[in-house]
Amino acid sequence: MSTTDVAAAAPVRASIPARLALPAERPAWAAIIPFLLPAAVFYVGLTAYPVVRTVWNSVHEVLPAGDIFVGTAHYAELWLDETFWRAVRNTLTWAIAAPLLEVGIALLLALALYAKVPGGRFLRVAWFTPVLMSYVVVGILWTWIYNYDWGAVNVLLRAVGLEDWANPWLGTTGTALPALILVTTWMWTGFNMVVLLAALHSLPSEVIEAAELDRCSWAAKLWHIVIPLVRPTLLNLLVLSCVGKMKIFDLVWIATKGGPLWSTETVSTYTYKRAFEWSTFDLGYPSAIATVWFVIVMAGVGLLTWTLRQRQRLEY
Amino acid sequence: MAARVLTRAAVTLLIVLWTAFAAGPLLWVAMISLRSTGEFMRAPYALPEEWRFDKYATAWNSSGYDIYFANSLIVVLSSVAIVTVVGAMAAHCLARYRFPGNRVIYFLIFSTIVLPPQITIIALFQTLANLGLYDTRIGLILVYVAIQLPLTVYILEGFFARIPADLFDAARIDGYSEWATFWKVAFPVAMPAIATVVILNTILLWNEFLYAVVLIADDAKRTLPLGIQKFMGDQLEDYGMIATGLMIAIIPVVVIYAFFSEKLIQGMTAGAVK
Repeated sequence: MSTTDVAAAAPVRASIPARLALPAERPAWAAIIPFLLPAAVFYVGLTAYPVVRTVWNSVHEVLPAGDIFVGTAHYAELWLDETFWRAVRNTLTWAIAAPLLEVGIALLLALALYAKVPGGRFLRVAWFTPVLMSYVVVGILWTWIYNYDWGAVNVLLRAVGLEDWANPWLGTTGTALPALILVTTWMWTGFNMVVLLAALHSLPSEVIEAAELDRCSWAAKLWHIVIPLVRPTLLNLLVLSCVGKMKIFDLVWIATKGGPLWSTETVSTYTYKRAFEWSTFDLGYPSAIATVWFVIVMAGVGLLTWTLRQRQRLEY
Repeated sequence: MAARVLTRAAVTLLIVLWTAFAAGPLLWVAMISLRSTGEFMRAPYALPEEWRFDKYATAWNSSGYDIYFANSLIVVLSSVAIVTVVGAMAAHCLARYRFPGNRVIYFLIFSTIVLPPQITIIALFQTLANLGLYDTRIGLILVYVAIQLPLTVYILEGFFARIPADLFDAARIDGYSEWATFWKVAFPVAMPAIATVVILNTILLWNEFLYAVVLIADDAKRTLPLGIQKFMGDQLEDYGMIATGLMIAIIPVVVIYAFFSEKLIQGMTAGAVK
């Protein structure tokens, strides 16, 4: 479980009107400032300032000897950098495919538990375990599972007579990215399931019972009753998962280092390589990558939240 | 009727398959961790013939896991302690006092949750190098506090905001200072939420890799995820021992989960359900 993935576990909640508070007349600055100061120091020093410094870096050649202003040269180079765009495509593929898979499967599993299948408590724990492991552990574990000779995937394929399908899944350009997307699906579905189950349990049970009485088909119940009722939760989970996948680094770094042939390169791994692996010593170019990606992510998240809010406004 | 039985069978089958898929890998690595590499290579999916618990002692003593574990413990516990206090103070302030810019500050802190880590990591590397904190545990601790601050403030602010204002009025009438009100009233009342963020942050930081790999270079300062990566690089073929190392990293989290699963889930789902 990466920090960033779950850090995103908070939904996008915009400005909420200031509630509460004691005397509304004059702000008690003498109390406010000491309370806020430590957080402000951390925020300004280790979040805001680094963001500004990265943007500043991006228009410089940043070498150990000193910085040289190069204007938009890095951006021009980036525009023509095919590996970067490959990384963007891979990351976006991941950020779109994974949420749909995770949340879709999680909804079905949550419904199964909601319908009180036997052993529900045990199943909930079993399904949740993958998310407790770090991406480093998961990455090593799944390189073994995808191992050509003795990995579980190929062993199972051979066992059912599909020898021809056996494949070094992470070593083939066409299958490496889907194989890693499957890993994140494995890892996060249980988490999404637990959240959805909580959402289902918080629904008024009469609504679902009424649907039972109306003898709706199973699919109709799902589509017309359950999904609309848990829609806000579904949307939150999709956004969270999407944001998490746009940050993905550890899993790729451990499992494939972006290979074979850039087929699993993500923006994070490419930035890391350009900053700390390739011995170019220039931190300006990777900073330009980070800046462009930052703009893409912020625009994406902004657009997504705005669209969702528009739709909600239309419906209510 | 037959159709019903069939559907039931299909659902059961799918549930069984998914359970094997979800929990199988962890069980598998737990088994490997108790077997020698030779045994594993002969039969990758067999149960241990002999339960080699001594492998844990070997990994601990001779592969550096004692150091990695201690480093992880120091870094994670210190960052969690600092971020809890700093975050709780900020959250309390944002929830309780009305002042111009309150929501702007909240929004700024909150929106960093979605920041891609690249946008800060290169400059953090430079900044820590300038301050002489690159490749130190203190530097990593400070960065960990900064990256977990938004989530901490977000969860705690939501909780603090629901504490009735009457409680604070009563504290004021009793002559409590603002500072004492926070420590003696708000903080204890918010204990459930505090416990949630402590557990959540502990697990997230225990598993953290990207910032550690950028900011730590010296082997003696590596945290567990870095240690595992190094061990895997050195002993690529020694699957048995690698698995033991993986379990050393997994076990503390599983233990925390076993004791505090409800708290942990509350933290992870905070706000996702409305």
